[in-house]
Amino acid sequence: MPHDSLLLWKALQGIICVYKPAEISVKSLRKKLITKLCKDLSELDVKLRHPNPKLTALPVSSDPHTNSIVETESSENALEDISSSAISSGISHIDLRYHPLVVGPRYLDEDLTVSWSNFLGWNTSGVLLFGLRSGTQYAKFIRENRSTRAYRVTGSFGKATDNGFKTGKVVEKSTWKYINQNHIQQILSAMQASHQKKVFEISGVDIHSQTAYELAAKGPIRPVNSEVPIIYNLKCLDYEGPGFTIEVQCINENENYLTTLIHDIGIRLHSTAHTTAIKCIRHSCFTLEHALLPKHWNLQNITKNMDMCSKLLRDNESVINQTSAVLN
Amino acid sequence: MNKLERFACTLSKCNKRYISGPKRKYPIDREHEKTLPVFQYNVSKENYRRVFSWGNIHTGALGKGFKKYKEGEKYLKPLYFPKRITLGEQHEVVSATCGFGFTVFSVRNDTSQKLYGTGINTDSQIGYHEVRTGHPLETIFVPQPIHLPFKNPESARVTKLAAGRAHLLVLTDEGLFTLGNNSFGQCGRRVVPDENYGMSNYIHHIENIDGKKIVDVECGQDHSLAVTEDGGVYSCGWGADGQTGLEHYKNCSEFTKVNGDISSEKIVKVSSKSDFVMALNDKGEVFGWGNTEYGQITLPGGDQQISTPHHIKMLDKLGKIKCVATAGAFCLVVNENGQVYSWGYGLLGTGPNVELSKTPVHIPQTLFGRNDFQPDSTVIDVTCGLYHAAAITNLGDLYTWGRNKFGCLGLGDIEDQYFPLKVAIGGIVQKVACGIDHTVAVCKPFI
Repeated sequence: MPHDSLLLWKALQGIICVYKPAEISVKSLRKKLITKLCKDLSELDVKLRHPNPKLTALPVSSDPHTNSIVETESSENALEDISSSAISSGISHIDLRYHPLVVGPRYLDEDLTVSWSNFLGWNTSGVLLFGLRSGTQYAKFIRENRSTRAYRVTGSFGKATDNGFKTGKVVEKSTWKYINQNHIQQILSAMQASHQKKVFEISGVDIHSQTAYELAAKGPIRPVNSEVPIIYNLKCLDYEGPGFTIEVQCINENENYLTTLIHDIGIRLHSTAHTTAIKCIRHSCFTLEHALLPKHWNLQNITKNMDMCSKLLRDNESVINQTSAVLN
Repeated sequence: MNKLERFACTLSKCNKRYISGPKRKYPIDREHEKTLPVFQYNVSKENYRRVFSWGNIHTGALGKGFKKYKEGEKYLKPLYFPKRITLGEQHEVVSATCGFGFTVFSVRNDTSQKLYGTGINTDSQIGYHEVRTGHPLETIFVPQPIHLPFKNPESARVTKLAAGRAHLLVLTDEGLFTLGNNSFGQCGRRVVPDENYGMSNYIHHIENIDGKKIVDVECGQDHSLAVTEDGGVYSCGWGADGQTGLEHYKNCSEFTKVNGDISSEKIVKVSSKSDFVMALNDKGEVFGWGNTEYGQITLPGGDQQISTPHHIKMLDKLGKIKCVATAGAFCLVVNENGQVYSWGYGLLGTGPNVELSKTPVHIPQTLFGRNDFQPDSTVIDVTCGLYHAAAITNLGDLYTWGRNKFGCLGLGDIEDQYFPLKVAIGGIVQKVACGIDHTVAVCKPFI
């Protein structure tokens, strides 16, 4: 007989959008999600089968073989307690076949398959997509379709560290007072235009053909492979003191690339810079609004989030299935 | 203490972060940071400009110095990418111009050397440079100063440069100086039969024309154009295709007023590279004359030459024109919205299928970097070489397209480019000059 946890288990198939905090790996976040979901599902099962802690008893039977369960498994302490309480209350026959202490948790961590569709580094926070059970194939499609992502990267002038991030060892210090926001914006727009040109070389289209012209006239296009990071937009959002914030819209990037970008901006502005925070604010059509914070992870919120994500995917067909090299 | 207990003890000592985060062999000494010196890197001067050149390296017009052939090398590789030249680091370069195989730079300084030239010098178009008496250099590989006979050498200023096939026009606040080949009268002086231009050290000086100050100059292949302060256009030189606009097809050796449709207009800009001339007036209307065999102007009688300036009426519907440029066989205009239109024959910038158009075709603005991410990018200036074209946007990006002779597009190869593509250049482009097989750009540094 299917019960509610089984129904829920069957429904847990699809994409969910979660918020990844910084300083935790995607791998451990995935494990945390699986543990949480399995625990919730298993508990739900217990609650449904045993609405109150009182155990239900079977009618007394004269056949001594029916209470064999109690006898054979009496070595377990817990069971001894139950059986002793049952015996003392005058009931000699108890069905313990489905008790969680007998069969263990109904849902094990290995049962739930979860995969991510975008990998965020250790220091990155923000939007992260997970595919649950059969949703893992959608996660794969999204990953292979290489949709654009937007990041908000915060940096600071004046110091260069060995790993490009604020946690690293400081290797060089320099002055930065002469830099203004206009300088940063000029560097960024030059970088952006160069990237858009670069994408033609790796788009897989012969640049001397009519097709290349027609693609170019439509606007920015996607790269053909997932190896070369391409930046579509670079914008300086804020500059105050040594700290600055830039927004990056890109494809094929990783955390290391973004920290290198900040380092590069520092050098080009005749100074040094390091990254202080990286936040993924958008992944294709998923934004920070859709992301579920880890503290809100429970069955109810996750199923709600899954519904919302599947609706978003239905509205944005191109996230799963691309038809053109033009960026949309 | 058994092994398990010891492991549990180690676990409790180190924090969670250390177990699963990026690991370091040695912990960071935060005190070390305080002992580090603070570097103070230089910020560029206000007038400092980076000068880039690319294209044909044989002629010396790139100013990169003489390059020897390596062993087993059959030909010298042209410079496919923009490369900085030393002149920009030594002097404050203001502007540059490219002729046919030579380049001239004007610099700002307090000495008498305001002009530097490099490249082919067969007709003394970049001055007389002799290593021994009577043997002037025919090719110069490193920019050399050109001495102009100024009245006040220290305070004089070069305002505009223009170069043709083998002559040079230098507009200064002391008047116009002309150098080089004068076989058609393009230097604005009397043609001397059998004059040896290579051996000549003669620089012609024109203080003003008809008592009016010259404000702008432009060179075609073998003719010269000057715009005076009242908006009048004067021309001299070769007129076989009507490019002088003087209502005849003869050569003219003196700057003469151009009439026709522009006689009462205030002209602000003229453009010519080969034998077709376009002029822009203050109202944004365009006029043209010269050789129109490629459909630059469609004439009712089917004539291929026109020696009288004609108002190009088909451009009126494009709005107010801000900038004009003519190449050998095609023309470009930019209107006030930053839209670029081209027509004529050649690589017009709208794909390989369009090679000839008698009406203006719009080059999509997305090709000049305008998209959802950069909605305010517009073209502000266009320049043409003989077979290629270049456009500068308000963000300081340079886009080139056309025939890629000797890699003059700077895109990293020698394949022709059928639509505008951005040149990877390390600066905010201020001015670009196109020759026939090389290009020079003057850029502002980023900081």
